[in-house]
Amino acid sequence: MDRQDRVALLVEHAKNPRHEGVLEDADVAMPGGGPECGGSVVVYLKGDGNGRIEGLSFTGQGDTISIGAASIAIQKVRDEGLTMVEVLDLDYGAFVERLGRDVVGSRTRNATLGLSTLKSAIRKYRRGKQSGP
Amino acid sequence: MTEQEILEKGYAHPEALVTTGWVAEHLDDTEHIRIVESDEDVLLYDIGHVPNAVKVDWVEDLNDPLTRDYLDPEHFASLMSEKGITPETTVVFYGDKNNWWATYALWVFRLFGHDNVRVMDGGRVKWEAEGRPMTQEVPSFERTDYPVPTRDDEKIRAFREDVERHIQGSNPLVDVRSPGEYSGELLHMPDYPQEGALRGGHIPGAANVPWARAVREDGTFKSAEELKGIYEGEADLSGDEDVIAYCRIGERSSHTWFVLTYLLGYDQVRNYDGSWTEWGNLVRAPIER
Repeated sequence: MDRQDRVALLVEHAKNPRHEGVLEDADVAMPGGGPECGGSVVVYLKGDGNGRIEGLSFTGQGDTISIGAASIAIQKVRDEGLTMVEVLDLDYGAFVERLGRDVVGSRTRNATLGLSTLKSAIRKYRRGKQSGP
Repeated sequence: MTEQEILEKGYAHPEALVTTGWVAEHLDDTEHIRIVESDEDVLLYDIGHVPNAVKVDWVEDLNDPLTRDYLDPEHFASLMSEKGITPETTVVFYGDKNNWWATYALWVFRLFGHDNVRVMDGGRVKWEAEGRPMTQEVPSFERTDYPVPTRDDEKIRAFREDVERHIQGSNPLVDVRSPGEYSGELLHMPDYPQEGALRGGHIPGAANVPWARAVREDGTFKSAEELKGIYEGEADLSGDEDVIAYCRIGERSSHTWFVLTYLLGYDQVRNYDGSWTEWGNLVRAPIER
């Protein structure tokens, strides 16, 4: 893909975010980002208790990079059926490379907002399991 | 250059605004006018922009890549040359989010003494709503020889020490962030990101007027009378006082700086770009909630 294609992919995801919406029976609803600057998302996560992701969605508003990249990250995790450990192991640099450094520029925080919030959701889920009944 | 539609709103400096119609009529006057798009959403320009507009990215173009500061005079001159701008060029800014980032870019241009600046009233959203032409074609202009200017950080920019003196003298401050940020509530929500500050609240004595109150639903600025009602009637500011505006990093407050300076004609308004990300991290800085 050239730069124009990578821009088009982000724009398309930002206009039609995949897996967008509130997950009613989520174990964790994790907010991330800033509502007044860049973008903000809430990632909804449901686990199966054995390290697998049973449900995953997000809501958010913000710029094209923040929302487009969040949608791409959530879609990747769902399509590839990644486990929680595999998501935590995802490399931010590689993710930004995939989006295109020539597109993202220095907005790496926006580009990784969805993925970093998902990782935070997983950590919270795991903490909850450790301290649970 | 001033148009009736702008004049009717009663501004102190109506020449600081142009309408979308005026821009549409001047798209091809690239010898005298440069249209500059500056957005928060950095990909909007790629998606489509006003014909013959160039892009100025507040992160990549206007900030020093290492120190927390704006670009130096040499880089500003280089940026102007690259965009085909001379000291005489009329620069018309527009952008997303009610011209939030357009006014930020304009404020930085003013630091370097490029005073021949305008804002397209209504910004990108109004241009699009009116169905005016958009293009993905990036224009190319002949490089200019823009002399290296002097950056004046005194008149329209405030630093931490200025703010400390300001509050000791009980001078007016306006915090243009959201009420939740002003009260400190946002930084205390469970699991909520800290937005780069360790403490929440506001600088003592600051009034709270969220920046976007200055604009109407269509993205255009409110009339001078409406703005006076907000900034003078509600926030008790006055044009003969020394006013400092701030937000989180100085971008939203540049919008209010523009309103107070150009639309209401205040003589002494400074933008504290260190804003809450500096004040909210300062050891022993006084804070109110």
